[in-house]
Parts: sequence; structure tokens; C-alpha cells
Amino acid sequence: MFETEIHDLSDDADYAAASQQGPSSKAGHGISNQSYSSEPENAEIVYLKDNVTIHPTQYATERISGRLKLVKQDSLLFMSWIPYKGQSSNARLSERDKNLYTIRAVPFADIRSIRRHTPTIGWQYVIVVLSSGLAYPPLYFYNGGVREFITTVKQHIVIVRSSEDANVFLVNNFQDPLQRTLSSLELPRTISIAKSASSSSFTNSPSDGNLERLDGGPRQKGSDAARDISIQVLEKFSLVTRFARETTSQLFRESLVDDYRANENKKSNRSSQDKPREIVSNDVRVTRSEVPVPSDPLEFDKLSLVWGKPRQPPLGPEEWATFLDSEGRIEDFTALKKRIFYGGVEHNLRKEIWAFLLGYYAHDSTYAERQHVMAVMKSEYETIKNQWQSISPEQAKRFTKFRERKGLIERDVVRTDRSLPFYEGDENPNVHLLRNILLTYSFYNFDLGYCQGMSDLLSPILFIMEDEPESFWCFVSLMERLGPNFNRDQNGMHSQLFALSKLVELLDSPLHNYFKQKDCLNYFFCFRWILIQFKREFEYDKTLRLWEVLWTHHPSEHLHLYVCIAILKRQRAKIMQEQMSFDTLLKFINELSGCIDLDAVLRDAEALCVCAGENGAASIPPGTPPSLPVEDECIYQQDDEAL
Amino acid sequence: MPSRRRTLLKVIILGDSGVGKTSLMNQYVNKKFSNQYKATIGADFLTKEVQFEDRLFTLQIWDTAGQERFQSLGVAFYRGADCCVLVYDVNVQKSFDSLNNWREEFLIQASPSDPENFPFVVLGNKVDVDGGNSRVVSEKKARAWCASKGNIPYFETSAKEGINVEEAFQVIAKNALTIGDEEEIYLPDTIDVGSNNSQQRASGCEC
Ligand SMILES: Nc1nc2c(ncn2[C@@H]2O[C@H](COP(=O)(O)OP(=O)(O)OP(=O)(O)O)[C@@H](O)[C@H]2O)c(=O)[nH]1
Ligand SMILES: [Mg+2]
Repeated sequence: MFETEIHDLSDDADYAAASQQGPSSKAGHGISNQSYSSEPENAEIVYLKDNVTIHPTQYATERISGRLKLVKQDSLLFMSWIPYKGQSSNARLSERDKNLYTIRAVPFADIRSIRRHTPTIGWQYVIVVLSSGLAYPPLYFYNGGVREFITTVKQHIVIVRSSEDANVFLVNNFQDPLQRTLSSLELPRTISIAKSASSSSFTNSPSDGNLERLDGGPRQKGSDAARDISIQVLEKFSLVTRFARETTSQLFRESLVDDYRANENKKSNRSSQDKPREIVSNDVRVTRSEVPVPSDPLEFDKLSLVWGKPRQPPLGPEEWATFLDSEGRIEDFTALKKRIFYGGVEHNLRKEIWAFLLGYYAHDSTYAERQHVMAVMKSEYETIKNQWQSISPEQAKRFTKFRERKGLIERDVVRTDRSLPFYEGDENPNVHLLRNILLTYSFYNFDLGYCQGMSDLLSPILFIMEDEPESFWCFVSLMERLGPNFNRDQNGMHSQLFALSKLVELLDSPLHNYFKQKDCLNYFFCFRWILIQFKREFEYDKTLRLWEVLWTHHPSEHLHLYVCIAILKRQRAKIMQEQMSFDTLLKFINELSGCIDLDAVLRDAEALCVCAGENGAASIPPGTPPSLPVEDECIYQQDDEAL
Repeated sequence: MPSRRRTLLKVIILGDSGVGKTSLMNQYVNKKFSNQYKATIGADFLTKEVQFEDRLFTLQIWDTAGQERFQSLGVAFYRGADCCVLVYDVNVQKSFDSLNNWREEFLIQASPSDPENFPFVVLGNKVDVDGGNSRVVSEKKARAWCASKGNIPYFETSAKEGINVEEAFQVIAKNALTIGDEEEIYLPDTIDVGSNNSQQRASGCEC
């Protein structure tokens, strides 16, 4: 076909053979449309492959097989992969898990590249990378057919083989600035596509005559450098998900061999093939319409189908019981935390489970051990509490620091969540408990003392634990991680705000540049979010949910920073469109309070975290809260303030 | 969005935690007092339109957290201030003692071009408490301090009862004008929140 010739991807006879088979012949493969009737009337199935399988874990029993399809509708090409129903050999693989991985008709407009792996031993697989930078897990073709798959794609849309890696095929989305960059670098040719801004209309139908034919021609000098830049861009954005990395790690050795082979291939390929494929035109510009707001490199809204997304119902008592052995130990704490990450826990279980999440109880402790710990800690609490309770009024007169600290706490507890029934009304005993616990804490950690914001952090804990000593110790555990937020020199806050700015730079450079231009790189508008873990940004019950999710430290102990970015990303267009300055931005952010969709933001945050991968982790300096501090020394300097 | 020509006057309210900064600001802008305000974390501001001799001004009133530990943030917020309001609680000696520190800290961080003549206003708040019986800082003492710092205007207020709040802010705005007159800026209508937007925020939302 026309396209095939243009891009000359057919490096062997198989390609040609595969492309000979018309799309219609595949559509007739006896599709049982009852169970997979995802296609609308006018859709045409141009490719269908059974037994295409993903490997969510390294266990053979947990693989999920399904059917891969390419569907064409209104000259747009979609890919879908639907797992088979009810043939799971494994009870651990719930239908929900399967749904999680289902790929429902992703348009090729959303796909950046396809990487194929055709090892000599083992299954062939492809990794599909979305324009967001996220990737689906490897799709293993148990019955072969990777070539046929690529060929079929090629018949319907424009793809080009990466000049750097013969196994990577770039899908051209000219709407995407990144892709545009790539195109101009990698597709040196004249393209004049005057298209509507809708990203779904980007695909070129094969008969679209707008593409200039690529003929053989000499390569221009500058093109090597250009290619290097494009590779950097690729490296930065085409991050394979951590998931994909995990599942492919088993193939590491194989991949290495593979890559080696690919490199060898490349060398030989380049000399023989580059010339006919590459022609450099002086006009590599793509016509584009003016957009007022730089588009989001991760294109968030389109991402909802990328995985990990659906939140689960909270962990209930029956499921919780399955995590405990007969003596009360949590057998697989990591699995539990992961489960909680995706759905939180039911309210009635919070009292029990928060103590583990916060680290007050060791996860491998038994019922009996916990009972013992509780008794010991109760009396230890009383001991510390007694230290300030025994200060007589006379003594207090000569103890300014104590008086002031006490005054500050007392002024704050009466301003903490008073509209909540649990804390409302005059002489509320729970408000008194807040005071006692905070005062005791300021003696437990005298150097850190009391700082505004702590009452916000304690309030939900007391609300859940409903017990003074237990609340105290859970609060102590929380402060072990968040204490640096309240350091006198504010270094804990500054390091988080700094990390946040680095992450935004990584994940949304247009937004970063905007903040830079507006002199907002100090990210003070996120100060409240971080200081008290979004306590004031959500309704009370949402805060409880968010906190237990953050405390799982899955997929990162710094997920809260990705939550910040997720919220900012949802507002980025408005922020930039309205040209918000430092003042207006701060006010705008403060007023988002109560208007943030927690589930959506958590899904985005996870995706962002996965997408940032190691680059994200590298943007966060060691010791940034809630990581434990790097040095062992006293972190609470106490020379500059009385309280 | 249409924008009108306005003059922006930026006012910063400083003082120890709990002296009533947030309450005063809300009493002035929204004519309301609530004892459910939360301790301020970070900073926020409200705006209110004021008129002087046929000219409209937007007063942008910044409310920051009172605990010393958060002072290092100040520099970002104090910049460009036209007037600084120092608040203490007449029932708390320490809050009065801190005034000097707040004033100096402000001058360092905001570094106004003419620190000698930078307009301050001092408010002794919570005069309503206990019918004045629990007060520990006398008016005389407060006025003496104000006089010693270059005749700073002084008001005794109650955010709760709305005593002297309007009067104090009239003077605050007027004094801000003495140095804020020059900057003409464009403000989109959206941040003209004094009357509607922020009102809901301040009263309805528990955040
Ligand atoms: N009786 C009385 N109480 C007041 C008055 N002003 C404020 N309060 C109370 O004093 C407490 C502190 O008031 P805020 O306005 O929150 O104090 P703030 O200065 O903003 O405190 P921070 O935000 O912590 O810096 C609250 O409980 C108010 O209800 C007043 O004029 N009279
Ligand atoms: Mg306040």
C-alpha cells in the first residue's frame, strides 16, 4: 500500500506478506460480539489476536490473557485489549484486577510509540507508550503476530521507525508539542497538515495526500545533533511505567541480549537503510494553530483509562481478617498497604489499622504483644503528662516558656475543627484532650515544642483513636515523619517546596516556566497543603481517607508532592489563562479548599508518580519529609525562639 | 473578563498568634465575627473597595500566621506593602511586648524605601473581654510606645463587638494612600472579592 511504501518499514518479506492480507479478512475471524461488543455500529475490526497476555507479576498463575484488537472507526484507529471473562485459573486474580488492566479503545492519537520485542527465545511482546509518557504493561503475543500487528497499524496511520532503535515505532501526533518536536527532528520532511485542533483527527487516512513522499537523499549535517536531542526528549518522556519495568525485570537478561542484538542490527541497518528513509528538508515546521495555553505534556484528561486508575471500595472487616494470622500478625504488610492505597479502610477499622500504618504497632506483633505494648505505653504517657501537670501555678509564674506554650496550645485547640460534632460546644471534653496531648507532646519533644498546625494533625487522630494515650503515641509516630515541617528554621518545609518545584519542572515544564515568569517558584501557595497534609483542603472524612492512603507510602513516601502536582495540573489552564500572579494564585489555591475531587486527584497523583519514576525520586533531596532525616543529630535547634 | 482601572493598596496585619488578626480583618471586610476561625496557616488576604474623594481604591488586606516560626515566609508577603497594622491583645502582656519585634521584622523583610516614614497603625484588640477587667496593658502605655515610634496612630478595638474597627481601617487606608498613591495597576474583577467571594469563604467554609 501507499503508506507502506512511503515509510518503507518492510524490511523483510513477512511484512509484505502480512500487509497483503486485507483488513477485511481479519474482521471475519468469528468474533463473538456478545461478550466483547465494545465496537459501535460503524466500527471495523482490522486486526484481532487472541491469547495476548499480560504478566502483572512474575507468577505464571497471575497472568491475564485477552484479546487484542485494532478497530477503525471514522478513519480513526483504536486499540483495545479485553481480558477473557471467567477463565482465570487463579482466585487471587479478581475481576476487578482484570478491569484494572483492560484497555478500552485507546485512540492512536493518545499513543506515542510502540516498542516491539521479538526475542529468539520466549514470547514476543510489545510495549505501548502513551503520549502522556505512561505505558501499558507488555502485551505478550502467545500466538505470535507482533509483525502483523505493526504492519496493520502502519496501514492505517502514520508511524515511523525510530532512527535510533529499530524496534521502536513512533506514532505521529502532530497536536502534541512534544510529538511535534520529535516529528520535526525525526521526520525531516515537509508536512502541511491543516487540521482542526481536535486530537482525534490527527490520523492520516492512507489516501491523505498531504505527506510529501520521502525519497532518498543526502542527510544533512545537523541531523545527528538533532537526533540526539530527540533521544533525550524520548528518554525524558517515554518513561515506561514502574509496573512495566517490574514485570519486565524478569526479562532483563533477555532484554540485554535483545538490546545488544538491536544495537548490532542498528549498526548494520543504519548504513544500509538510513539513506532511503531520511531526507532533510529545510522546512521541518508543522503548521499549528495558536494556543493560548501551553499544553500539558502529560495531557491529563485523556489519561483516565490509563491504569491503576479506578479506586476500590475501602477495606472491610472480612478482607482485613484475611491479612492476619491466627495470632494477629499481619502476614503481608506490603500487600495490605497496597490494598489500602487503592481504597482506604472502612471507618470502623481505622482505629485498629491506623496504629499499624503510623508504625505505633509493629505489623508483625501478635495480639498479646500489642496488649502488652499498650499497657506499657499507657503508663509511659502518664509519666510524661505528669511532668507538666505537676507544675504548680506558683512555679508556672517563673516558667515563661511553659506558660506561653500552654497559652498557644489553648488558643489553638479552641480553633480546631469546632464545627465537627466531636469537638463542638463549650467545655467539650475532646477539646480538652487535644490540649492535654499537645502539651504532653511539647514535653515529650521539648525541643520541637508546639507549633501551629499540630492541632490540625492531631484532631483526626484523636477523632479516630478516641483514647488519650493511644492518640498521643500515634501522634508521636506521625510527628516522627512530619516533625521537620515545624522546625524553627523551616528547613523541612523548604525542602519539600523545593522538591515540588523540581517535580513540576520535570512533569510540566510549561507550568514551571509560567511560575518562574510570575516569580512563584517558592511555591508558598502550597505551604498549607504540605504543612498539614491537606487537612484544610478536604472535608473531614476525605482527609481521613487521604491520610491513610499517604501513610501507606505507596507508590512513594512523597506521594503528597504528587498530589500537589495533580491538583495544580487540574487547574493549570485556568491559572495560566487568567495570568494569575503570586497574590491571585495564592488566593485561588486557598479557595480551592473544599472543591477538590480526592479520588481523581489520587489517581492522577499515582500516575504522575509512576510516570516520573526514578527521575521523580531523584528530584527529591534525601531526608525530605516524610523521609526520616539523614543525619542523626538533633534536628530541632532551639536558639531563636522562646516557645 | 473586563478590567477596570483601580488603585491597589496593600496592607499587612501582623501580631502574635491569637491576638485577633483574622477576626479584625473579617469584621472589617465582612462585618462579621465568628469564634470558629481557624488558626491561620500560611497567608491569605481579603480585598475591599474604599472610596476617598471620588476615587476608588482596592484595599488588599493580608493576614499571616502569628507564630514566630513562620516569619521566614514573611518576605514573600510583605513585599510592596503600603501600610502595616500591628495588633496586640490588651489582655496579654507578651503580645504587646512583641510589637517591637514585629515592627522591626517587617522593616527588615519588606525593606520599604523610606523606613522612617513608613506608615504603621497599632491596634489594641479584645477590649471587650471581661468588660475590660482582665486587661493588662493600659491604653497609656500603648500610646506611649506608639508615640516613641514616630507617632503611630493607635486604636483600641474589639473584633468581636465591632468596636473601632471601621474607624481604624479608615486611617489604615488613608495612611496607605500616602505611599501607595503612585502605583496604578490593572486588576481583573475576579479578585474584587471583598463583597461576595471571600465572604462565603470566611463564614461558610470550615477551612
Ligand atoms: N472576646 C474577643 N475575642 C476575640 C476578639 N478577636 C478575636 N477573638 C478571639 O481570639 C481568638 C483568636 O482570634 P484570631 O482572629 O483567629 O487570631 P489571629 O491573630 O488571626 O491568630 P493566628 O491566626 O493564630 O495568628 C479566636 O478565638 C477569636 O474568636 C475580640 O475582639 N474579642
Ligand atoms: Mg489568623
